[in-house]
Amino acid sequence: MQKIDALSRKLMAESLRHYAKENLPFDTLRQYDGENYFPPQKVKEIYKDLGINLLLIPQEYGGLASSTSDIYRVCQELGRIDLGIATAIFATFLGSDPINVGGTEEQKKYWFTKMARENLLVAYGATEADAGSDLVALKTRAEQIIKDGKITHYKINGSKMWISNGEIADLYTILALTPGGPSWFLVPKDTPGFTQLKHEDKHGIRLANTAGLCFENVIVPAENLIGLKEGQGFLQAQAVFGYTRLMVGALALGAGQEAIENAIVYANNRVQAASPLSHKQGYMHKLIVPHYIKFEAARAFIDKTAKILDINNHGQATEGAIAKYYASRAANSAADDAIEAFGGFGYTKDFPVEKIKRDVKITCIYEGTSEIMEMTIYRGRWQEHLKTRGNFYLDMAREMENIKETDLGAKALALGLKALSEVLEECRLNRLTRHQYITFELGRLIANAEVAFALVKQAKSGQVVEGCPFNINIIKTMARVNAKNVSLDIALAGAKLVNSALEIPSEKDFYITEITKESVGLVKDMDALSIVLRDMFRN
Amino acid sequence: MDIIVCLKQVPNTAKVKMNQDGTLLRAGVPSILNPCDHFALAKALEIKKKTGAKVKVLSMGPSQAAEVLRLALALGADEAYLLCDKAFAGSDTWATAYALSRAVKKIAPFNLILCGQMAIDGDTAQTGPEIAGQLNIPQITFCTDIELKQKDTLLATKLIEGGHQILEVSLPVLITLTTPHNFALPYPNFKAIFEAQQKPLFTWTPNDIEADVSKLGISGSPTRVVKIYPPAPKQKGQVLTLSAEETAAKIVKILQEHKVVK
Repeated sequence: MQKIDALSRKLMAESLRHYAKENLPFDTLRQYDGENYFPPQKVKEIYKDLGINLLLIPQEYGGLASSTSDIYRVCQELGRIDLGIATAIFATFLGSDPINVGGTEEQKKYWFTKMARENLLVAYGATEADAGSDLVALKTRAEQIIKDGKITHYKINGSKMWISNGEIADLYTILALTPGGPSWFLVPKDTPGFTQLKHEDKHGIRLANTAGLCFENVIVPAENLIGLKEGQGFLQAQAVFGYTRLMVGALALGAGQEAIENAIVYANNRVQAASPLSHKQGYMHKLIVPHYIKFEAARAFIDKTAKILDINNHGQATEGAIAKYYASRAANSAADDAIEAFGGFGYTKDFPVEKIKRDVKITCIYEGTSEIMEMTIYRGRWQEHLKTRGNFYLDMAREMENIKETDLGAKALALGLKALSEVLEECRLNRLTRHQYITFELGRLIANAEVAFALVKQAKSGQVVEGCPFNINIIKTMARVNAKNVSLDIALAGAKLVNSALEIPSEKDFYITEITKESVGLVKDMDALSIVLRDMFRN
Repeated sequence: MDIIVCLKQVPNTAKVKMNQDGTLLRAGVPSILNPCDHFALAKALEIKKKTGAKVKVLSMGPSQAAEVLRLALALGADEAYLLCDKAFAGSDTWATAYALSRAVKKIAPFNLILCGQMAIDGDTAQTGPEIAGQLNIPQITFCTDIELKQKDTLLATKLIEGGHQILEVSLPVLITLTTPHNFALPYPNFKAIFEAQQKPLFTWTPNDIEADVSKLGISGSPTRVVKIYPPAPKQKGQVLTLSAEETAAKIVKILQEHKVVK
């Protein structure tokens, strides 16, 4: 089977960008945002004109069977255009995922061919009023209807909420409890007893339709049970969490980048006290440069994880959580600072940053909140820490110490990783992870450390990742700044974290003195990056 | 009917900035298909749609230039050729036209060659006409439209000062095209991009096109760039806001002072 190559990915991103420029300029998006409505026909037009919906459909059924790397590049580009539209498209990807993961060949053939031919909008129905992050509390039920000793149909009763494409989808994949356990069902829109509620009036992503669903004695044929086997629902949902969360990370990355690039263009043109804002060191180092460093770190991490998923298909749950957590938080703080960078203008709806700030918040919420991500990250890596007797991060530190190049921040990060290992070990010895707050904070430190590690490794490889707008020397500078900042944060926050839950202070120093010395040269590097960004978006 | 379209990958000059020394600051500047060439390709594909013509695309450049050829294949071109070798590097318009004309001969048969009027990085508008010269075929430059009249006749709408001129020409011919301001350049859908991976894209060296290497590259280029500099900025003009009579009198006075009129 032929795969989509790097050049095709680039061309797809370009086609998408041009399509948006022609058909979805900011003024149009702004109008729809105000109306809290985006015509479903427009989403279908995007499918028809670009064939973006074919990405998740296998080639034998008329699709392109794209890899994780392909989808993340497209998601990142979609995030730049509008997170609401991106969500509508992503919901179709998500909705067809259970078929991809658990469907029988016959189901795949029937539904994928239909999706490809008819440009179907799909919705993914898992969430319920009492079953958000805790899917075990699922209440929607599917009863067996038995005729002549054979299950011929299922009768679905219950409700769903916050379903993307809820009101507008043609086809729904619905998670419901069967006697054999949670299972996915395919429910076409016009099935009797199935109603869609009113579209929510949301803070952001107002171009994405979000609605509740009601099922009153909805009868679907037994062949609509995905995989034709009850009880596979959670496995099928969890198998793709790494993947879907990675995609939310990519969406966030696109939106964040768009916000900051808008701010840089503004800063280049806005003259105050005789010079453009982009020439003012304080402004750039506070509001602009740190965000772009985080975007490149996120990109390196997402790219690395996508490449693993290209081979393994499923898994990478901790990495997916790290990608989503890190990129969504980076994008949110970037969008916030982009408004600050625009001053009063940024607070009006006349400029895209105001909308991006409202839109991007969702990336910290859907597919699991940031707090659920912190918990997931902590749980995943805590196990590794225990299993390796504290060597998980020490091994990574050794890898950093073995890097000969002195300009990648590897030495600083080696210290940071050792500090992280020490923090985890102190938590183990003092049983500090009984405090949920500490586990959340550990999740944060772990995510920052692993993303910094990915960026240093990328800088070491001498090659920038696809879609990265910088040359390798700039990536090296970014890796260095990021490694130093992250290591210092691990040491300081880690020390505070451990001591805050103890009666007597820890005897460990978490490498604070050594790591602090590594901060030398940070301002100079930031100055250099500031000039790069300023020149790149000069008009 | 066989059409050859010459394409060039150029930095997106809408985003290009200059260094102090007048050279291009290329860091982070994306490369694109030269817009006039993109338009020429769109016109070739229109003819293909109507007549079933075969469209072949040709470019010279570093391996990265394969990107614009792949874009052309995704848009509907049938075959692509990239002249890529150290020997081609540094060629001026004459040496480039020599290499491209050698390649055209190798790709032949052809009835029509389409080129963009000029590339947005060099702005010379020389390569197209020089290809026609080296192939010894007729050429029409600065066209905004072409239409195949009969099997071997073409109507070309040429942009001239104050209007358009419509010329009828028999094939083979080389046309250079300039993009009308309201023309939306086409971009391919995802499926076409994917399918283009399977279309033929050949990379050729001077050997493949039987070119004389002494006529290629810097040594084969008669042009010598002595210096590149931005033109001096214009002085701010003087604006007169007097009555019509007073303004006319003042202008005459100024012109007399500058000895433009007596």
